Amino acid sequence: MQHEVFANTEDFGGPDIVAGPGRLSRPGVDPPYASYELGKPYDEMFTREAVVRAPYAALDSRLSTLPLEELNRRQQACEQSFLHQGITFTVYSDNRATERIIPTDLLPRIITAQEWSRLEAGLTQRIIALNLFLRDIYNEGRVLKDGVLPRAMIYGSKHYRREMRGLPVPHGAYVNICGSDLIRNESGSFVVLEDNLRVPSGVSYMLANRDVARRAFPAVFRAMGVRPIEHYPLELLATLRSLVPFQEEASIAVLTPGVFNSAYFEHAFLARQMGVELVEGRDLVVNDNMVYARTTSGLKRIDVIYRRIDDDFIDPLIFREDSALGVPGLFNAYRAGNVMIANALGTGVADDKAIYAYVPRLIRYYLAEEPILENVETFLCREEKSLQHVLANLDKLVVKAVGESGGYGMLVGPHATKKEREAFAEKLKADPENYIAQPTIQLSTAPTFVGTGIEARHVDLRPFILNGADTKIVPGALTRVALRRGSLVVNSSQGGGSKDTWVLSQ
Amino acid sequence: MLSRVADSLYWMSRYAERAEHTARLLAVKLESMVEQTPDDAAASWARVIEALTGEKTAPSHLDAFVITRRLAFDRDNDSAMIASLALARDNARQVREALSNEVWENLNRLYLRLAPVTMDSIWVHTPARLFREALEEMHALSGVIYSTLSHGEGWYFLELGRHIERVQLVGRLLDLHFSAAQAGENGPKYFDWLVLLKFCSAWEPYTKEYTASIRPQKIAEFLLFDSEFPHSICFSVDRVTEALARVAPGAPPARRAAVERLAGRLKAAVDFGQVDELMSGGVAGFIADITRQCEQIHKALYSSYITYGAETVL
Repeated sequence: MQHEVFANTEDFGGPDIVAGPGRLSRPGVDPPYASYELGKPYDEMFTREAVVRAPYAALDSRLSTLPLEELNRRQQACEQSFLHQGITFTVYSDNRATERIIPTDLLPRIITAQEWSRLEAGLTQRIIALNLFLRDIYNEGRVLKDGVLPRAMIYGSKHYRREMRGLPVPHGAYVNICGSDLIRNESGSFVVLEDNLRVPSGVSYMLANRDVARRAFPAVFRAMGVRPIEHYPLELLATLRSLVPFQEEASIAVLTPGVFNSAYFEHAFLARQMGVELVEGRDLVVNDNMVYARTTSGLKRIDVIYRRIDDDFIDPLIFREDSALGVPGLFNAYRAGNVMIANALGTGVADDKAIYAYVPRLIRYYLAEEPILENVETFLCREEKSLQHVLANLDKLVVKAVGESGGYGMLVGPHATKKEREAFAEKLKADPENYIAQPTIQLSTAPTFVGTGIEARHVDLRPFILNGADTKIVPGALTRVALRRGSLVVNSSQGGGSKDTWVLSQ
Repeated sequence: MLSRVADSLYWMSRYAERAEHTARLLAVKLESMVEQTPDDAAASWARVIEALTGEKTAPSHLDAFVITRRLAFDRDNDSAMIASLALARDNARQVREALSNEVWENLNRLYLRLAPVTMDSIWVHTPARLFREALEEMHALSGVIYSTLSHGEGWYFLELGRHIERVQLVGRLLDLHFSAAQAGENGPKYFDWLVLLKFCSAWEPYTKEYTASIRPQKIAEFLLFDSEFPHSICFSVDRVTEALARVAPGAPPARRAAVERLAGRLKAAVDFGQVDELMSGGVAGFIADITRQCEQIHKALYSSYITYGAETVL
């Protein structure tokens, strides 16, 4: 009946000694890296000359002394732990629901202190500019009057919420919780691929991954001076509290669509870690523009809602009337200032893939600074010149529908057949405003345990930015991994997994 | 506490109690059937099925393999052990934030361990063993609930679920055995009374109280009125009464009174019940009354604290 693999410390995270400076492993030669391929993309662990990068040296010396069976055992222990914690999503087939864990990889991805401080500065700059932009377009609209970007792009966006116009938002912080996706390009610099400004998820996996990686390599972890991330829930709580003047007494709730949502684990996790109520729409009642939760003792006033429900579903009286997840009357209570909602409504207009292309210009416009983090080069198909370029180079580009996420509605030119490209070109010509295109970006590769050894897999990086009275970024991130060899798609809905991210203190 | 959370905790606990009860009945039954004649074993199986599903079964349809599969692993049977456990877990998942990690992981692990079990895999060796092991883990779960959760409102909703369910489960067993004894033919024999005690984890505690001499009246007295034994009706009623005094502390007095009045009446019925008066055929009626009162308490609990209309309190 003994199932708790972690109970045996010899098995897991036991004698984990960091060897002294020994010979460094060579990819493609030494086990466990015999099948490790270095290609055109930047590799996180090895230089182009196939030498282990300095931050990975300690991990390398540990890995080269661990038998493969031991790595497998640790990998299984970590999967067991996820399963027992209920970090799963459900797949339905044959009328049976099967629970699968979100795949996780044992090996940490390492980021140096220097790299982090640039990321931190760049992400802070970016969130400040994006919030200024949101405040602007929901108020005077200076950026439109000055012609920095076309009016139609804003007023025509399905994520622009007229209902938000003129509504004061505490600290001007429309986006309180942001998860930005970055990649490392061939020259090794981080560039921003996407901003997630609506209801970004994944932070619970960041914390869960830390738990398993720390247990898998305790001595390496200790020796390397990895910066802690466990205070994220506390920072989130402080951010939410900063939205109301009576901070300590604020009654806060996390609003979830419910147990069938794929991120439910995260909603419950965050509520538990913050020590606040987890509510569903049906738990809330609005009366006289005040929001209450139904409790056994009666109705209890709610002051701040961290909502994990999309705008469209949050209030059937204002938005989608068929929404059973939302709370009738919530938006009016919000307008009346009796409840704060994080993120504010209408933030989706700013993480549109078309707006993305303008973010560097927005940073210059609002802050009069050069962007610290660059974007991936992006062609807006709405501009005739760009459209012609895209059509002529479909075999080299990745084309994405503006309103989609999760890897849907896109064409990866170099991997598509001629027929697929031709079909896509027709769609493009029919509705150019709906598409952007980017060069095929090579995501960097990182060492990933694949059962038979350690191989290179593509990764991205999603740090989480909090923004209330001020901006805070916990030094860590979710590193998503495309687990299939050669794949560039890291989304969990399409075969992606994740791994821990170690930000070093020096 | 959110009404929805109270609701889920209550049902999580009821279903966990049901799963534990089913596991115990199957373990005891599978262990003891080898010592019975085929007829006695069949009569006893029929009582087990009726106790767990409420259905009467003809003796010709009794096959231990088929019955065990249906009562333990048939997911289309709502009262099967695995179905109860799945429901307990579903409810727990909805209130993860109200439970400790330990409680969730114990319940989740237990479910994940039992979900893939097949009859063929347990039938080749000692089928009872699986249910014994499941019971051990369920006892561990109870211990974890007791020692890792604050004994506040949520914990008392768990208590309510557990003991309201237990009153009904133990009540139904007593009813079936005493009704069969009353009817006379093919009624419970010495061995069946012994098994009844084991169905309720009561064999050892009973002998400490009354020695090993097995007498139906003493069994009734013990399982109905012993205030110290955790599977007696009296014990559960005391827990229910105590829990009702502790939940929904801020509810308006009128709502509280509606529930507490019922609790007081139930407690009085059990406190002043006399086993001598019941033995001349009154056990079934008494149990029916207690069960009915528990159902009323369940309804009052819901209408006062959980499903009340929000407009009534604004």
